[in-house]
Amino acid sequence: MSRADAIGIVGAGQFGSALASVLGRAGRRVIIWSRDHAVVEAITTKRRSPRMPAAVLPEPVSATADPRALARDARFIVLATTSSIVRERARELGDVLDGSHIVVHAIGALAHPMNERVSEVMVQGLPTLKVGVLAGPALPADLAEGEFSSMVIASAFDEVVAEGRRLLNAPPGLRVYGSKDLVGVELASALSGAYTIALGLADGLGMGPGPRAVLVTRAVAESSRLGIAAGAEARTFAGLAGLGNMLVRASGERSADYVLGRRIADGIVTGDNAKTEGARATIAVLELAKSLRVRMPVLQGLAAVLTGKLEPRDAAQLVGDQVAVEE
Amino acid sequence: MASDRPVREAENRLEKFNADRERLLSEVERRVVARKVADAQAGGDSSLEYVLNDVAYCEIRRLEHKNGAADRWKDLSRRLLAMSEDEKREELRRLVRYYGQDVVGNFDPRVYKFSTSIGPSLLGFVFNPMTSLREGMSTLRNLDSRIHADGDLDVVHTCAERGTIVVTPTHSSNMDSPAIGFGMMRAGLPPVTYGAGKNLFTNPFISYFMRNLGAYRVDRRLKFELYKDVLKEYSTVLLEHGYHSLFFPGGTRCRSNIIEKHLKLGLLGTTVTAYKNNVREGSPNKRIYIVPATINYRLVLEAETLIDDYLAEVGKRRYIITDDEFSRIGRILEFFRKILVHEGSVVVRFGRPLDVFGNDITDDGESIDRAGRIVDPASFVRGADGEVSDDDQRDAEYTRALGRRLSQVYPRLTVLHSTNLVSRALFDAISKNAGTRDIYRLMRAPLGHLEVPVAVAIEELVRLRARLREHPEWGSEHPVYANQTTDEKLENGIKGLSSYHTNAIVERSGANLQVKDVKLLFYYQNRTAHIPPEGSS
Repeated sequence: MSRADAIGIVGAGQFGSALASVLGRAGRRVIIWSRDHAVVEAITTKRRSPRMPAAVLPEPVSATADPRALARDARFIVLATTSSIVRERARELGDVLDGSHIVVHAIGALAHPMNERVSEVMVQGLPTLKVGVLAGPALPADLAEGEFSSMVIASAFDEVVAEGRRLLNAPPGLRVYGSKDLVGVELASALSGAYTIALGLADGLGMGPGPRAVLVTRAVAESSRLGIAAGAEARTFAGLAGLGNMLVRASGERSADYVLGRRIADGIVTGDNAKTEGARATIAVLELAKSLRVRMPVLQGLAAVLTGKLEPRDAAQLVGDQVAVEE
Repeated sequence: MASDRPVREAENRLEKFNADRERLLSEVERRVVARKVADAQAGGDSSLEYVLNDVAYCEIRRLEHKNGAADRWKDLSRRLLAMSEDEKREELRRLVRYYGQDVVGNFDPRVYKFSTSIGPSLLGFVFNPMTSLREGMSTLRNLDSRIHADGDLDVVHTCAERGTIVVTPTHSSNMDSPAIGFGMMRAGLPPVTYGAGKNLFTNPFISYFMRNLGAYRVDRRLKFELYKDVLKEYSTVLLEHGYHSLFFPGGTRCRSNIIEKHLKLGLLGTTVTAYKNNVREGSPNKRIYIVPATINYRLVLEAETLIDDYLAEVGKRRYIITDDEFSRIGRILEFFRKILVHEGSVVVRFGRPLDVFGNDITDDGESIDRAGRIVDPASFVRGADGEVSDDDQRDAEYTRALGRRLSQVYPRLTVLHSTNLVSRALFDAISKNAGTRDIYRLMRAPLGHLEVPVAVAIEELVRLRARLREHPEWGSEHPVYANQTTDEKLENGIKGLSSYHTNAIVERSGANLQVKDVKLLFYYQNRTAHIPPEGSS
């Protein structure tokens, strides 16, 4: 299989491993780069990553601790790390890539510590300009189990979208849509974590389907407003990366953000202890909203809870009062 | 196949232009015709019938009011349906050749030598053929000393030796072409070829020198795709053959005097195409470098017309102005006499070159990425297996990235004259008086709001200069006058603002300064528009 048909994955965490699993089952050649030799060893010998044992990694999936091998064998690379280390990984990866590589990230958050979009950080650290984002309602567990999942790949470069769709489409386990709205998909994906906490809170407080529906629709409305101000397309926030992500994460208890919301509502944890990607995105995006002068009452209410300024029930009341303006 | 050489032989390539001329034209013709014929296989809008009809339609619309001028195109339109594919190809070839010849420039080494040896006094004669040569000479004897050129000249020189440079200056006046020409001459840089609006060729003297000093004609009235294709291909071929070039990426002159943020990328995109072709031909070391530059005037010849146009028609402004100050010889002479006698009236500042993908470069001209690593620029146009791949959308995105880099670089390269600084200080003061920075409201403000005590103007100016020193990314003061006291700066600025334009922009009245022309004050302060108002940054 040629280099053009191989997929590199940076990180053997839950999403990276699950993605490798679904692609490997579809017969794609996948090279996982992990800095952890024990993880590389486990993938090579046991065909599983210790961080996602549920995901079986069939033969076309290999692992390496050498980033040069990744750069040599794959032109298309998925960055599947956490937002806290993306800057460092991008810089390491940049030492071995060139301008021909394509790199997309699958990080549903803004990057530390400046709260930039991850693609902006990637462009700072990588030699290539061909970057993109992969996002959507595909939970690692679903990918590993072969449930039907869909994601969207977005980039300013048509080539990135076309190559992403060609290489990552593995129906029925994974269907990949395309978009040119890089900013929108990144913001929608980061915001969906925040709103998932809000939905966890609402469910934890025992709110019925009515208030839940209001919360979801207001979240889409205010995130669309932010998106437009930031140069994105409004419809992206009602798509896979926005609404789709939110709905899938807020069902069951498989998302750390959703669990966080429920636990705050139950009084088990306080907001100021919240350390999930969604919690970080709440505070970061609110700063962005302020600078762009966009009104985001739902996010503001959530931030008040997460910073300990309001009790969850008071925040819900306040948000309810503030969102009821012109539709 | 071309040799893979670092282009050390990057001599003044324009000297061999005349010998190359036919070869360049033939190459343009061959490529455009081949591409159009290949595209025509897809049919529809790409068919030759559509391409030819587009030309005929646009030309008929343009020329229908001129007696008989549209007949040729009406005839083509009539014949089109009955033409065979061979006949269409032949017609296409004829049209490409016709427009190619219309575009193509000339370089006469004798004219270049003459103009550089006599120096810029020649310009006075050119611009003022009605007065005697003697008067023109005496008025403009030392014009070139009035043009100050500085910046990262060592690196620009290196790039001009190693590869092909494309100078990309800001554009605020029709004086820009001669100004940057002299600026480059003073900086010891080789002459460049450049596209100039056909309207600038109407003065036969200017036309003669422009054509013989490497300018090619861009007729912005021709809207059909085929013409744009010829123009872009001509630029591409020039770059591939190593001809240093100049583009104004802002397109037309900036009406507002705000440093350009939104760049027109059409011709700039030919740099990526030309480099890609070099790589495909096996010469990845034939580099092309983009040299950002700013042209900074103490006063702008056409300021009155430009700002009127900006304010009257924001968003739908006229693209080609043919009746401005540039078309009035007397006004140009007055501009030279009154304005360019001031030392350093024009500052041309050259920035550090970039590669065609917007990457920075080392002092030796090697590309480096945003993290400072040396990167092979050829890899940007290669596919998975190392082959050069064609992808117009990718190349357009690269060009947009280059445009973004240029618009980031321009503010730092901006040189602010006393006229700009004093205008900004006064604009800030009258904005506080009136409680608004909105120009339309300020234009209707009562006279009292437009009065600024000298002491207040000085305070504003002191703070503005201090902020400017803290933020080199906002630009810098004129290097020759950076040590002026604030009093001197104010005096100098007021002198400029009250000396050339039809009405004084500001006048001193006892201990006060009275703003007399808010529009022009706005125009000159706009050069600082990227500097946020105090307290908002």
